[in-house]
Amino acid sequence: MTLTHPLWLVAGVALAAAFLWLMRLGSRRAAASALAYSDLAFFETATGTRWNPALLIALACAVGIVALGAALASPRFVATLPMRGVAVVLCVDTSGSMRATDVAPSRSEAAAAAVRAFVDAVPDGTRLGIVAFSSGAGVVAPLSDDKDALRDAIGRIPPPNGGTAIGDALVIAARQLPPSGRRAIVLITDGVNNLGSDPAQVAPQIGAAGIEIDTIGIGTNDSGQFIPGTDQTASIDEDGLRQIAAAGRGTYARADDAGTLRSHLAALAASTTRVRRRIDASLPLAVGGGAVVILALVGGMLAGRFP
Amino acid sequence: MNALRAALLRGARATPRPGGAARGSRPGDGFAFSQLRAYVEGDDPRRIDHAATARVGTVQTRVYLEETRLVLAAVVDESGSMGVGRKRPLARAADEAVRAWFGALEGADLAVRVVDDRLVRDRRAAPLVRAANPFCFSTALAIALRAVPRGASLLAVADGFDLPDDELLARAGLRFDATVLLARDPWRDELPLRGFVRLRDAESGRVRQIFAGSRTRARYGAASRARETALHARFRSAGWRVGTLDERDGRASLLRAFGLPA
Repeated sequence: MTLTHPLWLVAGVALAAAFLWLMRLGSRRAAASALAYSDLAFFETATGTRWNPALLIALACAVGIVALGAALASPRFVATLPMRGVAVVLCVDTSGSMRATDVAPSRSEAAAAAVRAFVDAVPDGTRLGIVAFSSGAGVVAPLSDDKDALRDAIGRIPPPNGGTAIGDALVIAARQLPPSGRRAIVLITDGVNNLGSDPAQVAPQIGAAGIEIDTIGIGTNDSGQFIPGTDQTASIDEDGLRQIAAAGRGTYARADDAGTLRSHLAALAASTTRVRRRIDASLPLAVGGGAVVILALVGGMLAGRFP
Repeated sequence: MNALRAALLRGARATPRPGGAARGSRPGDGFAFSQLRAYVEGDDPRRIDHAATARVGTVQTRVYLEETRLVLAAVVDESGSMGVGRKRPLARAADEAVRAWFGALEGADLAVRVVDDRLVRDRRAAPLVRAANPFCFSTALAIALRAVPRGASLLAVADGFDLPDDELLARAGLRFDATVLLARDPWRDELPLRGFVRLRDAESGRVRQIFAGSRTRARYGAASRARETALHARFRSAGWRVGTLDERDGRASLLRAFGLPA
């Protein structure tokens, strides 16, 4: 938090302290004219009087004065706020290479778990969709803010099989998104496009439409591990994924294990659905502080003999 | 005869003494006429007043009381808490009650006022003397138990905020024809406070600001009445005659305690 005019806050604190001191002074003077009573302890016990409401009012006034001083100091701070109308499509690779077990228990299962974590992490009201792709691409869940339906849809993601049509997936995902508002595509893949549209051509068009593309490369490169049932080694086209992310003004991240994948997706859930805003707290502080002071003083005086 | 004195004499005989102890009245000169009343079966025929019977038309009996030298003792709370009151201080009413009390002295009766740590036996000074030190009911009662003759009539006037323990009260109730006038809380029936009010403890001087709303007033009234009832019950169980000191009239309060018209 930053203060544009910090001296006003100091002045507010000093004024509040002076106010309390004057209240105390006035209270001592007024004590001489207090009504004599036989036994104050009995009165307190009989009426259940434990706290002094006048003291509370005085403290409320002091707090209000400090708030007014703080308002004049123009406090500003940066806050991360959830955005409204956000739409995100998760593109999940279901190609045969996702059967690889270098990411335990397998790339495909780790990806499904991470998607579930993403769904859980986004604020309510965010619309999410799921597109699965291998040799082709298909919508598993259309855009919806029903998290239960999305969790059910995760179970319907097809098992890994076939090639990798990243470009087609991006196209279908972009079609799912609304024409305006905050929109993003999160691509989870192990990477080498070998079918369908060329993502290097599709991504710039999508990025130009104002859609952010974030990519996550899943798997261990150069691990020497073979894709189960094939003689192909499990590898990632990191450069390709970086280019796609750059074209969509998004980010690329690499996940070597399931934990890293989940944390990357959780970070994306925050960055794509929330926005950091610089907030000026002067007005709420001024209104709140002024209201407290006025209510406390008026209420106290209406109740009589205050201060 | 002073009505209060007569009541004291009657009360002395009527009051049952716990444990069969006898009240130590001192013998006087004989019997003094007290009143005329309608004849009831069992009255001594020698006491029938024929002149009065002829005037009234029904048989009238003369009632005599044994002439007794009374010892009237008083213990009066003069603490700061007795300085409060709605229209005037409770202490003024206490003064009136004490003057009426010692006003019942006749003939060879004795007066004793416990003030501070001493006894004032002068009949003229007893109602007027003032304490110089803070009042302590327990101390004053302990002095009375040591120095005032058994069977004396003791009047205590207090507001009941600083009372002796039950054992001391019971001893006094056993030893004396004890009467207590408990000052009625001036604010018992209506707490005249609204909103923020500063209250000062009349004795300690402690000041407290409170907020008196309708709930506070209702709670206070209930607690004050409950306290008064509890105090009365406590003194009665200790064998004391109990009356209420009304700030408006101390003398009438005393007479009411003895069932006499004000």
